[in-house]
Amino acid sequence: MSPSNQKPDLDESINVTQAHGRLIREAAAAAREHRIADNGREPVSLGVVIACGFVLLIAGAVLGDAGTLFSYKSTFRDGYVRASAEGAGDSGPVPKPALEAFMAKGAKVYTRCASCHGPDAKGDGANYPSLAGSKWVTGDTQTLSMIILNGLVGPMSTGKTYGGAGGMQAQGGGMAPEELAGVMTFLRNSFGNSTGDVVTVEMAKAAMEISSKREKAGTQTTAEEITSAHAVALPGDSIDPTLLVDPKTLAPTAAPAP
Amino acid sequence: MSSVQPSTTAEDALLRSGIDRSLRHPVMFFMTSGAAWLAVSIILGIIGSTKLHSPEFMDGCAWSTYGRVFPAHINAFIYGWGFQVAFAVILWIMARLSRQECRSAGIILTAGHVWNFGVSLGVLGILAGYGTGMPWMEFPFFAWPVLLISYIAIVIWSFIQFRVRPVGHVYISQWYLLAAVVWFPWIFITANTLLHCLPGHPVMGAGINAWYKSALIFLFFTPVALGTAYYLVPKVTGRPVQSYSLAKVGFWSLAAIAPWAGMQKLTGAPIPYFLPYLGAAATIMIALPAVSAAWNLLRTVSGAGEVADHSPSLRFTIAGIVGLLVMAFAAVFLNIPGKTLELTQFSLSGYGFEILALYGFFSFVMFGAVYFIVPRVTRREWISRRLIKMHFLFSAYGLVTIALVALFGGLLQGVGQENWKEPWENAADFAYPYAMATTVSWGFILFSNFFFFIHLTLMWLRLGRRSSHPTLLVAHHGGSPHGPEGDIDNAGPAHAH
Repeated sequence: MSPSNQKPDLDESINVTQAHGRLIREAAAAAREHRIADNGREPVSLGVVIACGFVLLIAGAVLGDAGTLFSYKSTFRDGYVRASAEGAGDSGPVPKPALEAFMAKGAKVYTRCASCHGPDAKGDGANYPSLAGSKWVTGDTQTLSMIILNGLVGPMSTGKTYGGAGGMQAQGGGMAPEELAGVMTFLRNSFGNSTGDVVTVEMAKAAMEISSKREKAGTQTTAEEITSAHAVALPGDSIDPTLLVDPKTLAPTAAPAP
Repeated sequence: MSSVQPSTTAEDALLRSGIDRSLRHPVMFFMTSGAAWLAVSIILGIIGSTKLHSPEFMDGCAWSTYGRVFPAHINAFIYGWGFQVAFAVILWIMARLSRQECRSAGIILTAGHVWNFGVSLGVLGILAGYGTGMPWMEFPFFAWPVLLISYIAIVIWSFIQFRVRPVGHVYISQWYLLAAVVWFPWIFITANTLLHCLPGHPVMGAGINAWYKSALIFLFFTPVALGTAYYLVPKVTGRPVQSYSLAKVGFWSLAAIAPWAGMQKLTGAPIPYFLPYLGAAATIMIALPAVSAAWNLLRTVSGAGEVADHSPSLRFTIAGIVGLLVMAFAAVFLNIPGKTLELTQFSLSGYGFEILALYGFFSFVMFGAVYFIVPRVTRREWISRRLIKMHFLFSAYGLVTIALVALFGGLLQGVGQENWKEPWENAADFAYPYAMATTVSWGFILFSNFFFFIHLTLMWLRLGRRSSHPTLLVAHHGGSPHGPEGDIDNAGPAHAH
């Protein structure tokens, strides 16, 4: 645009070889730059090494506190117990209505049953019978308790034989009365069953006593034995489903819900 | 690059000025629009910070509520200012070090406009209430593919230039800048895919989000700033980098440590137990690359005498390196589980640490680069030494106040929060004076950057001084501090730095 004898317009492209000297002046900033020199080989000061070592020590202590590294299973440290806050009394877990608390405990126990009867308790129709709508589940409490504690073998009243020759194995080994009460309450009030009552811990204890005094103690029950000897309710009084209980021990609490 | 005599030949100068000329518009576009976004971000930051101590300020309009203004502030800062100035610096330094002129300025400029458009829509989306609520990823969903594609269209040319460079030594700055260019798409795609496209468990989502924030600081902004500092310091002082082996240690320790950091923000959350501890340990170990680089650069400067005092680029860069050291100290101090980590989770200190990293370290080094690059690409010298000084002083005072206040005020706020027997208001009372001080310091920073923006715009309009004498931060001794002002045609190459 502008002739070259005027002030240089820097937007204009310039013939480099002809305008050599002038370009150097125009590009004064680029011309006065230093080249980046060779990389230095000076020794590293001891202070830096010590500072870095100190940082590594702190980081190592933090990592050491981290438990098993790369364990995606543990969300908290093994045996972790939440410390009660300073100045706060530990009042234990918040009480819940009985039916809710028993059901919650029973739902955990049921995970063992679910491997055969299925998570929806519908069984498979061939080897494992459905628990939903079963008269032996929702009927007399002693019936259900004896089957859970001792298992069941042989043909049913309908003539059908479940589980092959082995039948259902006894599940009572190592089961606590609270667990038995919980799982019975759960079964009787889930999967479409709704008796609305709570099988208490006392009733579960009584069931265990009856079970140990059976004629053929230690063997599986049969349909015949169930209908002849155990088609009654367990001894003991049921409780009000809304009674507040401790969700861990299932014992009634005096304290009202907060 | 290495083993050549450090004097400048005419061919060098011609090559450099050719590269500078080819990059003038992309570089000036990114710097100037970045500076404009910085001012916007600070204004939003002032509104947000004011809301913390005076909630009745600007009440009654939805866009100015804290939940919208604060994310808009931090996102405008990161994607508006941080990335754009990083683009300018990456483009220029990579072109200079690869000795290649830029042949795709048009595409870069177009992509730069798309990037700006994406950021504008994103910020407006946040203010209109469409933010995603994920820290630093608040832009509405549509924004991230736009940003990713324009990012690639902007930086890929630096990659190509690197591939076709004259064979030779790869300089330290190139390691850092190339690494940053590659790392950002990795973290950006990972975080956005896992949070937007394949959302898993929300608690883990919060963890991924925390990792993204940390990775953005340590795997993008940190390497960009370190690469720039490793370029500017030897360039301005004319001295070799103190220790090449330490530079290597610094680079590889950053690459090995930084990807692990971030999840410590979820301490106590139901994620696998070791993750927060790993994050805390990695964040503490960030001090290793930080201290190595800072020591290396400060030692390189320390013998340079008055050059270091007079050069505006170096003054900002050194301030940034000091910011890096403070950041390293804060990374160690604030991340000790069981002692300080809990106090920083929900308080001002997390914000203080981020601002320290983004402004106290990254932005200061970037200002240094801007003061170095602009006279070269515009062929004009900076107009006013006073404007530069004001920019430095107000930025530095503002930043120091924010960092101190947010870090340590945040700790006190954390103590207030941990005291669960007192009402939450008590913790807010702890933070009140600090929030007030933060607002005032953002005011200082806004003041300084307003003049920076004006100065930069005047330079882009080529209204800078026509002189071959650089604008140095020297005191007046009668006459002009810049040397004889004469016409450019009369002035030969100066010998000042």
